[in-house]
Amino acid sequence: MQHMANLNIPVAEREPAGAAHAKAAIEISDLSHVYAGAQGGVPALEDISMRVGSGRFVVIVGPSGCGKTSLLMMMAGLRAQSQGEIFCHGAPIRAPDPRRVGVIFQEASLFPWLSALDNIEFPLSLRGDPKDERRRRAEKMLELVGLGGFGERYPHELSGGMKQRVSIARGLVQDPPVLLMDEPFAALDEQTRMTMGHELLRIWSLTSKTVVFITHSLTEAVYLADEVLVMSARPGRIIDRIAIPLPRPRNYEMMATDVFGQLRERIWQQIRSDA
Amino acid sequence: MTLPKPVNVRRGMLVALLALWELVPGTGLIPELFLPSLSSTLTVLVKDWNIYLAAMWVTLYEVALAMVIACGGGIAAGALVGGVAHLRNLLLPVFSSLYAVPIVILYPIFTAWFGIGPESKIAFAGIYAFFPVMLSTVAGIRTIEPQFILAARSMGATLSQLITRVIIPASLPTVFAGLRLGGALAIIGVVVSEMLTAAAGIGYLVTLNRTILDSPRVFAALLMILTLSIAYYVLSRALERRMVVWQSVGRAPKADRSTSSVGVPVTAAA
Repeated sequence: MQHMANLNIPVAEREPAGAAHAKAAIEISDLSHVYAGAQGGVPALEDISMRVGSGRFVVIVGPSGCGKTSLLMMMAGLRAQSQGEIFCHGAPIRAPDPRRVGVIFQEASLFPWLSALDNIEFPLSLRGDPKDERRRRAEKMLELVGLGGFGERYPHELSGGMKQRVSIARGLVQDPPVLLMDEPFAALDEQTRMTMGHELLRIWSLTSKTVVFITHSLTEAVYLADEVLVMSARPGRIIDRIAIPLPRPRNYEMMATDVFGQLRERIWQQIRSDA
Repeated sequence: MTLPKPVNVRRGMLVALLALWELVPGTGLIPELFLPSLSSTLTVLVKDWNIYLAAMWVTLYEVALAMVIACGGGIAAGALVGGVAHLRNLLLPVFSSLYAVPIVILYPIFTAWFGIGPESKIAFAGIYAFFPVMLSTVAGIRTIEPQFILAARSMGATLSQLITRVIIPASLPTVFAGLRLGGALAIIGVVVSEMLTAAAGIGYLVTLNRTILDSPRVFAALLMILTLSIAYYVLSRALERRMVVWQSVGRAPKADRSTSSVGVPVTAAA
C-alpha cells in the first residue's frame, strides 16, 4: 500500500503548449453505436467523447469485443456510427479519406501479388500519380522504415516484422497527418513486437504524425503513449484517461522503473474493476 | 546411399510402362485383341495419320468452343453470384446441387436439339465444364481476405478500382484452379459425347473402331486423346505459373537467409 500512496500521476486533460489554439487532430463528441441484432439493437459504443491533440500519440486499450476496433474503423471512415460525429482537423469524417487519415491493419493486409515497393505505391497509383514520382516516394518510405534494398521482395519472402514495416511505409506514403493503427504488432512474437514499437516511435518522431493506436498489451501501451484511453467492456465507454509522463525518447530501461510499473498497474486495475 | 530423384523415377516408370506395352502382347499372355502392341498401334497411327489428324482438329475445335463457353460463362456467373449477396443466397444452393447431377443425362436431349454435329458436343461439354469454373470463381471471391478490401478502401479505392486492383488478383489463384479443372472436364465432355453419338472427332474413331474390333486403331485414338490431355495440362500449368507468380514461388519465407527474427535486415545492420 505504501508505494500506492506516493503515486503521483497527473490525470491527463492537458495538451502540449499551443495545442489548445489549434484544431484537434481527432475530435469525437457523444458518439454512440448500436448494432442491428435479431432481438433489436445491441449497443456497442456509448457516449464516446475524446480529443486527440495534433502530433500526439494516443493508445486505446480495453477488453476484447469492447468496440475499440469499431471505433477506429469509424475514425477511418470505413464504418458508419449510429450517432455523433468524428472531426479530423475540424472537418467531419464520413468516408475514407487517405489524404487525412492513414490506416495500418493487424496483418495480412499487404497484397501478396505485389512486391514491397508496389504495395507501398498502391495508394499513390489509386489516385493516378505518375510512375516515377510514385517509385521515388515509395523508395523514400522504404528507407524510412529501415528496409532499403528489400523493395523487390514479395510479402511471403518477408518476416512478420518486415511485413509490418512495409505496412507502416504504405500508411505513411500518402503523408496523412493522422495514422490509425489497429493492433499492428499483435501477430508478432514478444521480442519483435517490442523492437517494432521502438521503431515506430523513431519513425513517429521523424514524421510528426498524430497516432491513434489500439493494443491489448499494457506494456506496449505505456511504452508508446502520451496518453492511454481505457475502454470498458461492451458497450464500450471511455472509463479512464491516463497521461504517460515518461520522457522521450523512450528506451527499454524505462520499463523497469517504478513509474512504468505503477502506470501499467493503474491501467490494469481499471480494466479489471470494470470486468 | 541416396534415393534417385523423383523426376527420374517417374521417367523410368514411363519407359517401363511403354516397354511392357510393347513386350507383353508378344508373349501371348494377353490377346492382341485386348492389348495390341505399342509398335502395331504406332504403325496404324502413322498409316492413318491424315484420318487421325482430321479427327483431332474436329475435337480441338469442339473443346476450344466448349472451354470458351465454360470459362467465360463460369467466370461471369461466378463473379455475379459470388459478389452479389442476394444472388448468392438465391442461386448458390441451386448451382451447388446441380453440380451433383450427372450432366451426361442431358446429352441425348442435346443431340435431339442440336443434331449429332459439333454443336451438341460443344453445348454438352460447355455445360459440363461450366460448374467447376463457376463454383471456384464464387469460392475465389468469397475467400478474399477481408483485410485486403478494408485496406484498399482506406486507401481511397473506388468500386471499379476495388474490383480490378484487388478482387480480381486476389481471387485469381482459386479461379485458375477451377479453370484447369473446367478445361479438363471440357476435354472429357467432348470425347465422351463423341463416343456416344457422332460422325466425326477422335472419340468417334474410338467407337467406330471398337465396333469393328480393330484394336490397334482404338488404341491409336486413345493415344491421341492422352496426348491432348497431357498437352493441355502442361500448357495450363505454364500459364498459371506466369499469371500467379506470387502463389507458385513457394510459401517458405526465403527472407530467413538475410533477416534476423526481429525484422531488421542483417545486411543493413552490418
